[in-house]
Amino acid sequence: MRKRLGVILGLLIAVVLLAATAQAGTRTHKVTNVTLAGWSSGPDEDTLLNQVIAKFNATHPTIHATFQVINGDYPTAMTARFAAHNPPDVFYVDSSVIGAWVHQGVVEPLNSFVKASKFDTSAFFPKLLGAFESGKTIYGFPKDWSPLAMEINKGMLGQAGGKAPTSWAQLQSVAQTMKSKNVVSGGAPICLAPDWARMLAFVYQAGGSLNNLSSPAAEAAVNFYVGLIKKGLAQTPQQLGVDWCGTALGKGKSAIIFEGNWLLPFMKSTYPNVQYGIFPMIKDKTGGNLAFTVSYSMAKDTPNKQAAWTLLSWLVGKQGQTLWMSKGLALPSRKDVKAVGGRQNFLAAAPYAVGWGFGNPNFSTAYTVMNNDLTAVISGGKSVSSMLSDVASALKG
Amino acid sequence: MTLQTVAAADPFIPRRARSEVARKAFFYAVIVLVAAIFFVPFIYTLTTSFKTLPDAANVTFIPHPWTSSAWHTIWTQYDFKTYIKNSVFLAVVVTVCNIFLGGLGGYAFARLKFPGRELLFLLVPGTLMIPDQLRLIPVFVMLTNWHLIGNFSGYILINLVTATNLFFMRQYFLTIPKDFEEAAKLDGAGYFKTFWRVMLPLALPAISALVILQFQGTWNDFFWPLILFGQGNPAHYTIQLGLAELDFQYTVLWPQICAGSILAILPILAIFLAFQRYFISGVVSAGVKG
Amino acid sequence: MATASQAATPPRSTMLGVRLREAGWGYGFVAVPIAVFGLFFVYPFGYALYISFFHWGILGKQAGGAGTFNYDKVVHDPVFHTALKNIAEYTLGVVPLTMALGLSLALVINQKIRGRNFFRSAFYFPSIASSVAITTIALYLFNANGLFNHIIGSKTPWFQNAPTVMWAIVGLNSWTSAGTAMLYYLAALQSIPTDVYEAAAVDNTGAWRTFWRITFPLLRPAHFFVLVIFGIGALKLFDQAFVVSNGLGGPNYSTYTPVLYIYREAFTTFDFGVAAAAGVLLFALIFVLTLAQRLTVGREEAA
Repeated sequence: MRKRLGVILGLLIAVVLLAATAQAGTRTHKVTNVTLAGWSSGPDEDTLLNQVIAKFNATHPTIHATFQVINGDYPTAMTARFAAHNPPDVFYVDSSVIGAWVHQGVVEPLNSFVKASKFDTSAFFPKLLGAFESGKTIYGFPKDWSPLAMEINKGMLGQAGGKAPTSWAQLQSVAQTMKSKNVVSGGAPICLAPDWARMLAFVYQAGGSLNNLSSPAAEAAVNFYVGLIKKGLAQTPQQLGVDWCGTALGKGKSAIIFEGNWLLPFMKSTYPNVQYGIFPMIKDKTGGNLAFTVSYSMAKDTPNKQAAWTLLSWLVGKQGQTLWMSKGLALPSRKDVKAVGGRQNFLAAAPYAVGWGFGNPNFSTAYTVMNNDLTAVISGGKSVSSMLSDVASALKG
Repeated sequence: MTLQTVAAADPFIPRRARSEVARKAFFYAVIVLVAAIFFVPFIYTLTTSFKTLPDAANVTFIPHPWTSSAWHTIWTQYDFKTYIKNSVFLAVVVTVCNIFLGGLGGYAFARLKFPGRELLFLLVPGTLMIPDQLRLIPVFVMLTNWHLIGNFSGYILINLVTATNLFFMRQYFLTIPKDFEEAAKLDGAGYFKTFWRVMLPLALPAISALVILQFQGTWNDFFWPLILFGQGNPAHYTIQLGLAELDFQYTVLWPQICAGSILAILPILAIFLAFQRYFISGVVSAGVKG
Repeated sequence: MATASQAATPPRSTMLGVRLREAGWGYGFVAVPIAVFGLFFVYPFGYALYISFFHWGILGKQAGGAGTFNYDKVVHDPVFHTALKNIAEYTLGVVPLTMALGLSLALVINQKIRGRNFFRSAFYFPSIASSVAITTIALYLFNANGLFNHIIGSKTPWFQNAPTVMWAIVGLNSWTSAGTAMLYYLAALQSIPTDVYEAAAVDNTGAWRTFWRITFPLLRPAHFFVLVIFGIGALKLFDQAFVVSNGLGGPNYSTYTPVLYIYREAFTTFDFGVAAAAGVLLFALIFVLTLAQRLTVGREEAA
C-alpha cells in the first residue's frame, strides 16, 4: 500500500513536470495572436461577443483574436498582469478607473495609430470619447454606454394617477400619492441606491458638479435624495431586502427606480411578467445624468501594437459596433450606429450625461469614501456637508 | 457516589431508566434539529436548481414549474465535465503532495533534532500571517518569469505544502508516544523507513483530517486559480471558475449556479464520507495497550 | 537484550556521528517545505518590506526617495484605525465561538451514538461549500425580508446594517468553521488513549469532570493549534467582508478589515508602498499575538 503510494506520488510528479514543459508557446507563423480581455455582464453578452470576434477573425486572416473572460475580480487580475509585463493586448477599461490606469502608465496612447490609419474620431459622441481622453491624448475608444433613466411599474403608476413625473416636485408628489394609497404594499414607492453612482445625477440636475461639491446646489441635491428616504417615500435596496433596485422593481417592492440600459436584459430574463415603462430621467434646474461607459484600450507593454490597433479599431468601427448593438445590450457610442428600438428615453439623456469617473486618477479611492459616507448620512450618523468635504478632499488625492 | 449506591439498591429501576430515556430522547432531538438546520441551505440550493430563472426569485422550496434545464445548460453549454476533471486533478495532486511533504516535515520538526529547529519552525505559522493579497504581485511576477502561468504547474508549485498541514502533522506526531520509534530503531530502521513504515501509518486520523481539509481547500480555491491560469482559459477552468462564469454583473443565473454548486459539493462530500471513518480507528490506543 | 546494553554506553565519536546524521536527515526532510515557504512567503514578504519604504506603483518604483512616509500614512489613517477595531471585535467573537462549537460537536460525535456517520456529515456540511457561495446564500436568507426575519419577525438587514454586520459575519463564519474545528478536535481525541477514560471510570468520575479535568487538558496541543490557525485566519478576514460590502468595506466602514485595506490600497489606489506598509504592520500584529499564544497555551511542547 505504501509502496503504491510512493509510485503514485512519483507518477504525479512526472505528470506535473510534463504539464509544465508542454507549454503552449506562441506560434510565430504569419498569424499574429491578439488577446482581448474583459468581463461579461450577462449570458447574452458572452454569445454576442464571441460572434463579433468570430466575424473579425473571418475578415482578418493574418490576425487571430481570442477573447479572455475574466469573471470575478477583473481589476486585481489585470493589475497582476500589468505588474508582470504580460498584459492582454486589448482590454476593457471602465471610465471610473481609466484615470488611475493612465496615471500608472499601463495604457497606450492611441493618437499616432489614429493618425496613421486615418481613423475617424468624430463619429463618436464627444462627451463619451472625452471620458477616455487626457487633454488631447486618446487612451481608449468607448465601446458602448448607458445613462440612467426612470423606470416605473405601469400598474402602480396607474393607481397613482398615471402620469409619470418629470421634475423633483412631481416625483415627490407621485411618490406621496403612492404612499398614501398604499400602492406599493410591503415596499416603498421609490427605490434609491445608497450610491453616488445614482445620487450624483441629482447633483448635476440641481446645477452642481463634482468639481464644486461645496456649492449650495450639491448640498440641496443630497438633501433631496436623502430626504426622500427620510420621508419614507423611498427606501434603499438593503431596507427592501433586495440586492439592487432592479430586483426591487421585479419583485414589486418599488414602483419607481433609476437604472440604465442594463436593466432591460435583466428584467426580460428574470422577471418577464412585470410591466414597466421607461421614462426620461427627471430634471430639476437642468437635466443631469451620468454616462456609464467602458472603453477598449491598448496595453503599453504589448508586443503586437499594430495588430492590437487593427482589432481595437474594428471593434469600435462602424461594422464592429453595429454587430455589437444588434441585441440591444447597450447603447452605441457612435453617432452613425443605430440603437435597437425602445431606447429613445435613454438616448434623450445624451446631452446631459457626464462621464462617470471624470478621468480623475483618484476616483476609485474617492468612491470608497463616497459610498461609506453616504450610508452614514442616510442612517443619520454624518452630516451632508461633512460628507461633501470628505469626498472633495479624496478626489484631490 | 452515595446516590449511585442508593440507586443500585433501589428496586424501582424503571424510574431511573425512564429519565435516562427522556434525556437520550432530548439529546437526539437537539442534534437532529441542529443537523436539520445545517442541511437547510443545501436543500434550498437543490430545489432552486430545478427552477426556471423567474421562479428562482421566489423563496420557495418547491419549484413551480419543475425543470432540469439548468442542469442541461451547465453540462452542455458550460463545460462542467472538464471543470470537474480539472478540479479533481488539482485537488488530488495537491493533497497527496501535502500529506507526504507535510508529514515528512512535521515528523522532522516533532522528533528529529537539528540545530535551528525551533527557529525554523517559527517560519511555519509565520507564513500564515502573510495575507494572499500582499504576496500576490511578487509571486505572480516570479511565476510569470519562470513561465509557469497559464497552466497548472505554477499553482501546484506554490501549494506543494502548506503551513497548516505541516503544523498539524507536527502537533499530531508530538502526541504519539516515543515507544514506537524506539522499537523501530531497535529493529534497525533508518529515519525515512521509520517515518514511512511506522509514523505515517500511526498518523492515520490526522492524515484523514488533512485529506478532507486539503482536498476541500484546493477544490474551493478561487483566487489563485483565477490569477494563475484562469483567464480566458476555459480548458483549464476549475469548478469554481466555472461557477464564476454564471455570476454576471446584473443577471445572475441562479438555477445554473445552484446546479453547479451541487455538482461542486458532491465530490468533496464523497471524500469526506470515505475518509471520516478512519477517525474511529483506535490504532494508537491499541498500540499502547499491546 | 544484548543490543540494549550495547546501546547503553556508546563512544563519544559515534554519538557525534549519530547526531550529525540525525541533523542531516532532519534538514533533508524539511528542505522542500522550507524552500516553498521561503520562495513564496518569505521572499514576497521581504519584497513588501522593501517597497514599503518607497513610492511604488504598478510598474515599479516611483519618484521620491526612501522614507517612512507610508507607515506614517497608515498609522495616522482613521480608516485603518477603524479596520483594526473591526478586526479585533471580529476575532474576539469568532475564535472562542468556533472553538467551543467545534469541540462540542467533536465530543458529541466521539460518543457511540446512533447514526454517527450521518451526524458527522451533517455537522461538517457547512464547511464544504466555498466561502463565496455560503456568503451569497447567507445574504439571501438574512436580508431584510428573508427567511430568518420571517421566522423571528424582524426587519433588520443583518448583513447591511452597520451595527450588526460584523456580528452577522461572526455567526456565519463560526457556523461554517465549526465543522473544520470539529475535525481537528476529533483527530486529537483519537490520540487520547482509552485507558485514561477507563481509569476515570474506575474512579467513578462523572462525565463533566472527566471532560473538564482530563480530556480538556489533554487536548492542549489541539487547543493551541486551533487557536493559532483560526486566530490568524480571523485576523486576515477578507472574503466575507468583500462580498457583503461589494468590496467597499461599508456600510460606513463597518466591514473594513486590514486585509481589505491592503487590497484597496494595492488594487484600487495602486499605492503599493502603502499597501505593503499596512501588510507589514498587520504581520507584526499577528506575530505578536501568536507569540503570546505560544508562550501561554502552547507552553507545553517547548520540552
